[in-house]
Amino acid sequence: MYVPFVGEVPSDIVVAWIVSILLGAALLWWMTTRKKWPLVWDYITTTDNRKIGTMYILLAMVFFIRGGIDAMFIRTQLAIPENDFWVFQSQKYNEVFTTHGTVMIFFVAMPLLIGLMNIAVPLQLGANDLAFPYLNSISFWLFVSGGIIFNMAFFFNAAPNAGWTSYAPLATDTFTTGPNNNYYIFGLQVSGLGTIFTAINMIVTIIRLRAPGMKMTRMPLFSWATLVTSFLILIAFPVLTVALLLLMFDRIYGTSFFLGEYGDPVYWQHLFWIFGHPEVYILILPAFGIFSDVISTFSRKRVYGYTSMVIAIALIGLLGFMVWAHHMFTVGLGALANSIFAITTMLIAVPTGIKVFNWLFTMRKGVVRITTPMLFSLGFIPTFVIGGVTGVMLAVAAADYQYHDSYFVVAHFHYTMIGGTILGAFAGIYYWYPKMTGKMLDEKLGKWHFWLFIIGFHLTFMPQHFAGLNGMPRRVYTYTWEDGVFLLNFVSTIGAFLMGASMLIVLLNLYKTHRLTDPVGADPWDGRTLEWTVGSPAPEHPFQPIPKINSIDAYWYSKVERKKLPESEEPRPSPIAIQTVAPVLLAGVLIVMSIGFIYGWVWIQVMGGIAALGFFIYRVFNDERKAVYRKEEES
Amino acid sequence: MKKLVLFFFVIAFLSGCQMRVLNPKSDTADTLTNLIYLSFGIMMLVLIVVFVLFVAFLRKFRERGKAKFDIPPDEKENKWLEITWTLVPLLLIAILAVPTVKATYDLTSKVSGSAEGSQGDAMTVEVVGQQFNWKFTYENGKESYDELVLPVDQEVEFRLTSNDVIHSFWIPNLSGKIDVLPGEETRLSFEPREEGTYQGKCAEFCGAEHTLMRFETKVVSQEAFESWLEKE
Repeated sequence: MYVPFVGEVPSDIVVAWIVSILLGAALLWWMTTRKKWPLVWDYITTTDNRKIGTMYILLAMVFFIRGGIDAMFIRTQLAIPENDFWVFQSQKYNEVFTTHGTVMIFFVAMPLLIGLMNIAVPLQLGANDLAFPYLNSISFWLFVSGGIIFNMAFFFNAAPNAGWTSYAPLATDTFTTGPNNNYYIFGLQVSGLGTIFTAINMIVTIIRLRAPGMKMTRMPLFSWATLVTSFLILIAFPVLTVALLLLMFDRIYGTSFFLGEYGDPVYWQHLFWIFGHPEVYILILPAFGIFSDVISTFSRKRVYGYTSMVIAIALIGLLGFMVWAHHMFTVGLGALANSIFAITTMLIAVPTGIKVFNWLFTMRKGVVRITTPMLFSLGFIPTFVIGGVTGVMLAVAAADYQYHDSYFVVAHFHYTMIGGTILGAFAGIYYWYPKMTGKMLDEKLGKWHFWLFIIGFHLTFMPQHFAGLNGMPRRVYTYTWEDGVFLLNFVSTIGAFLMGASMLIVLLNLYKTHRLTDPVGADPWDGRTLEWTVGSPAPEHPFQPIPKINSIDAYWYSKVERKKLPESEEPRPSPIAIQTVAPVLLAGVLIVMSIGFIYGWVWIQVMGGIAALGFFIYRVFNDERKAVYRKEEES
Repeated sequence: MKKLVLFFFVIAFLSGCQMRVLNPKSDTADTLTNLIYLSFGIMMLVLIVVFVLFVAFLRKFRERGKAKFDIPPDEKENKWLEITWTLVPLLLIAILAVPTVKATYDLTSKVSGSAEGSQGDAMTVEVVGQQFNWKFTYENGKESYDELVLPVDQEVEFRLTSNDVIHSFWIPNLSGKIDVLPGEETRLSFEPREEGTYQGKCAEFCGAEHTLMRFETKVVSQEAFESWLEKE
């Protein structure tokens, strides 16, 4: 049996082990002396949407630190030409950028947004929880389990090394032997399953649990964005599942889907991007929703062009499925395919433009109050528009032959992913923090965080456009003096460290907020939507009785007219909350089973499989809803 | 922050003429550079409009002392405004789409043409990408590694294939990328217009030493090329 953690271990892994053990010990000590265990147990076993959402965000932040440290290593290695920083050259560098990309997309951006959806969507709709609280807990713990599997790889000196896109045939066992890319497959497979469950949960919640009178046409835009996003997840993620399954068969059972006489490496690219392009809209649409709500709240005005905003979200979602081959312009699909995908890609700029102008016109004639969430939203508009216009430039198929896989592309997608998703997530976290914890993050430190982050961001990524145009390909661990990209890279590195420093302010802010400030009331921002009618933090089953809605932003108008929101007589099905440890155990079992597959230990695979199946049987006989429904029928 | 952005754009314009992609030395690269400038121009227009509106609205409608408790009246959306910002972008995209499609057809037929023989009097070079070097085979059977020598003002057609994983063939001064796939042949052609030495790179991540998978392209005079070709 091959034991992965003895033998020659690079020093960065040794350091990581030592630091993790020390931090872990400190955390355990702190939790024990402060008697935090009951609280931890309460969160672990909960099915409450607010608590699960908070855990999503907390864990995403932990992964954010991990992905951020990877980014620091990347930028340090690239700071000067022909650099030899620590161990980060050749394969080690490849591992770092692979984990940076994968962690940031799947274990930071996704859970940040899903966490915010968990917290805000039921509250915005006047629902008491998500439609399936138990399933929600499963989703969360599958994400945890996927995150652990993926991040474990590094500690056993087996971090994936084929890029976050894991292109075949490089990712097949012919060219990358060892367990490395098996970790990628199982980490994404397990957490992807959780994401699909969340999508189902959100769709059912939005369709079934809206408060009386909350028609679809009166829903806040964040809820709309969540609905469309959930449909995108439901269609796109199964494609990833299929692609990963085929790759797993190629790697473990010696099939040849992506290699050899009958296989074709381009199949992988198609499957991956049929998932991958909708994925970037999955990441951006919820952020759009957050910005719409935040900008409207802090302009003290209804969002401009509500109908066209909804149509634009739907159009972006729809077009998002028709553009995947723009990642493959240089593969040689032919002029016709390239032209069609170029035009569909450009078309996405139209609904996106509509949204940008509607945001601008929401501010016009409003009273714009610059709070931290609003500051992040304001920073988003110019930043994202820069990312958008480079997107259209990239869509010009022939010109993309030059941009493709160069630093120009790296700059572009960081402008959209950080400028859109991450700024959106920050805006959302500052905005809904009272609903999560009952306290408000410090405004002054929040603004410091914003300015350092945004300046660092532009310093990091603006020069990368030019590095790309000067011929610097992405995913290279060094460059020469003659390449003429030294200054650009040096500035970029300075910017990256500025961004890193800004995150320290967040830690300071958390400390200050929880140590030195008092809880706030239900409506600290003077909000417009239903989440601000319930207490902070939002209690379990907050809407009793359920309010009756008669317009968009009903809470705002009730405040303006100085009346209370009317209460509804019609009951809505109320999801049943329980305390259960089963999802956590299932997550543990899946980790064990995945390790069995990753290292090819058959007996662990079999045991893990049997245990996982056991949970289905257990669940069949232990459905907490049965008793409740039976009682309802009898009465 | 705005000043910072502006600063970078100024830097970009000043150094634009030095950047390899914007410094074309072949017919193909020329077309691409023109397209890049066209799309950049149109997009700057959009960028400027958004930035101007953004700054103007923010300055005018920012909350000030006395407006603190104002509740702005609700506004109905203006149909004409909505139509404007739908149709104008569509129009801009149409303006961009026409040359895009034209260039894509012009260049792509060259890039991955049918398997028939080469057109006209183009010189053929067989390219094999492998971890982590490039092998070039000329018409007379001469082979070279990581060094590509081309005659100036002569159309050259590359037939590319890979021995292992996917690579991508890129000479920023001379042409865009074409992927190099195992078990398949892709094509690329261009006509170098100026003598000189240009960097060539692998642009598709291909494993441990992807970074080092570079080659040098020397564009030389016809005579120098002939004598190089005959040399053992």
